[in-house]
Amino acid sequence: MIEFHQVSKSFNGQKILFDIDHSFEKGKVNLIIGQSGQGKSVLAKCLVGLYEPDTGEVFYDKRNFTGMDRAARSEIRQEIGMLFQGSALFDSMTVEQNVKFPLQMFTKMTKAEIQHRVDYCLERVNLDGSNNLLPSECSGGMQKRVGIARAIAMRPRYLFCDEPNSGLDPKTAIVIDNLINDITKEFDITTVVITHDMNSVMEIGDEILFIHEGKKWWTGNRHSIINADNPEIESFVYASSFMKEIREKLQKKT
Amino acid sequence: MNWLRQFGKYILMLGVVFSRPNRWRFYWKQSLIEIEQIGINSLPIVALMSAFMGAVIALQTASSMESPLLPEYTVGYITQSSTILEFSPTIISLILAGKVGSNVASEIGTMRVTEQIDALEIMGVNSLNFLVLPKITAALVFFPVLVVFSMALSMFGGWLALLFSDLTTTEIYILGIRSFFNPFHITYALSKTLIFGFLIVSIASFYGYYVKGGSLDVGKASTQAVVTSSVAILIANFILTQLMLLS
Repeated sequence: MIEFHQVSKSFNGQKILFDIDHSFEKGKVNLIIGQSGQGKSVLAKCLVGLYEPDTGEVFYDKRNFTGMDRAARSEIRQEIGMLFQGSALFDSMTVEQNVKFPLQMFTKMTKAEIQHRVDYCLERVNLDGSNNLLPSECSGGMQKRVGIARAIAMRPRYLFCDEPNSGLDPKTAIVIDNLINDITKEFDITTVVITHDMNSVMEIGDEILFIHEGKKWWTGNRHSIINADNPEIESFVYASSFMKEIREKLQKKT
Repeated sequence: MNWLRQFGKYILMLGVVFSRPNRWRFYWKQSLIEIEQIGINSLPIVALMSAFMGAVIALQTASSMESPLLPEYTVGYITQSSTILEFSPTIISLILAGKVGSNVASEIGTMRVTEQIDALEIMGVNSLNFLVLPKITAALVFFPVLVVFSMALSMFGGWLALLFSDLTTTEIYILGIRSFFNPFHITYALSKTLIFGFLIVSIASFYGYYVKGGSLDVGKASTQAVVTSSVAILIANFILTQLMLLS
């Protein structure tokens, strides 16, 4: 479980996050949603320590991450996997070397054990046989899957995914969504997904935190968001013509 | 006051760079890779520059020697002293500031804007130490090698130019090269090289690591890295000359 209290953050005097409290549950896909520029990514970066929050505390299973020094944070970070918006694969390394990297850096596993783990992770994301490809030789969807394989290589307890579907076609996006969902349930980890994609929300949103103007605006799940009685949520959910059409059809039925 | 803030940030960065690596095995491996990229790959440009500069120094000196009071071996002596004291350590370092500095700044800058550095940090890797320390090690190990190589080639270039121009004989040129040779000048040149190598790589890494934005900003950071490290070399050259040759 990840808990955070009173998290706020400013850049150059402009406040981006306003005293946010929330907790993300284990074994569930927790979504942080909201329009672009509302502070979703800043919140996620505060949670993983890429940004220092101005105020507030972040707890990973009751361990105060905010108060830790660099060495202690490094221990927690080895329990965190993260899939970045642009995948952030090391472009000078092959797919296999990317997945191997954290294992070689932080574990005392033998070469055979590392190879076994790498093969398992790549197989888990349906990339077996792609070991020797360079990231530049992989499609966008493949890069995301390599990113997931690298994120789960260290058997993380927490998985963060920043806009996992950006730049992907709808079919590949669903594959990635399902992969994140399956991994969360299979390994019983706490997953946090930052997205503004309504398809993802409806596909995998076990728990949803809606951020608006840097504030915690609404919480719920993929079922309750459809009927949320809130103008900001409504304009977010029904922003596309497709969703508007669905609403109209549902209203006609009832 | 911005330059003071930047300088403070640079000093703080060095504090993180010079910490214990997560894995020594990775550090040594990465250092060897950097020696190849920063050092060995710079050999062709250093060789080309040194040979031609040595040739030009020798020819210019020979063409300016009109007084019969000057001994003929002066050409060799001036080529030797200007090469050892200034040309090889300083001019080659300025050239390396352009080649290596821009390369380091753009490599690390690209890793920053494509979130690869964030990925390292999330894994628990000390990204500054992992990326910058092997580059500094490579520069400190291989820049002196490049400079000694440059000294030799420069004097060789001077000899070839004089030989083909028929301005002096090999014996007289070698006599000039060996005349008034002060071994401390080699110590001075190599000490300067170590400082310049450190400045080039650390300044370029600083600009690359803290870049914000996209590819355009990486380009700007790369240019700033070259300009700042060149100015730093010139200032350090002046200070070191005062300290080592005149005090």
